[in-house]
Amino acid sequence: MTKVIASRGFRGLAGEDAIEAINDDLESLWLDVPFVQDMDQMTFTTAVIESASNIVQRAEPAGQEPVELGVDITVRPALLQGRVSAYHAKPPFGPMEPATPGEDAESGRGLALIQALVTTVSFERQDGTNIWVLSRTSSQS
Amino acid sequence: MEFSYGIKDSYAEVKADGRLNMVAAAKLREFVGGVIAGGSTRIVVDLGKTAFMDSSGLGALIGCLKAARQAGGDLRIAAVQPQVKMVLQLTSMDKVLTAYPTAEEAFSND
Repeated sequence: MTKVIASRGFRGLAGEDAIEAINDDLESLWLDVPFVQDMDQMTFTTAVIESASNIVQRAEPAGQEPVELGVDITVRPALLQGRVSAYHAKPPFGPMEPATPGEDAESGRGLALIQALVTTVSFERQDGTNIWVLSRTSSQS
Repeated sequence: MEFSYGIKDSYAEVKADGRLNMVAAAKLREFVGGVIAGGSTRIVVDLGKTAFMDSSGLGALIGCLKAARQAGGDLRIAAVQPQVKMVLQLTSMDKVLTAYPTAEEAFSND
């Protein structure tokens, strides 16, 4: 695999402040890698924020410790990858499958949107942590 | 995200400046709800300075649209930026929330 050109990492309590901080981190990341196409920046940022927001809105603590949100982003020449983690969280209730809400529904579009934005998306549970793994192949490759 | 509004001849224009994410979504609902409660039911949300919107923000816009219609009016969006346009298209909500180039054009043919 080609080398990592740039990266960002975040870990903090899974709250609203985390979402703004992650969005700020992504904006600064794109300044470091101007060769990444606007479309790739836009789609990947949206997928990461959707995943992180899903954790903030839905993840429940497994025990006494509050849920923490972790985001690790790496940029390779033709590949964007992200791991969005919910630490100290219960396993999600029910299957992580996209819904098909009606046009007047005010929620339920997040998972389908994430799938449309990235090349691959998977969900893992490792050592008590729920992890979204996102990747987007560059539009130019 | 910052919200402001102004009363025009035939509609109220709400300007949304910043990121329309899960943090701002509740604020948008509250702000537009206040505009509707104030008697303005024809609303244009100017998204010219909204650089980012996620599904929570989209949900808030849909909620505001429903609230405006329930009050006998309508809600339209204008000056949509590329990321917001992408989210509308990928969710097929561009058919429900029709985007107009400018706020002035949103109700110009009614």
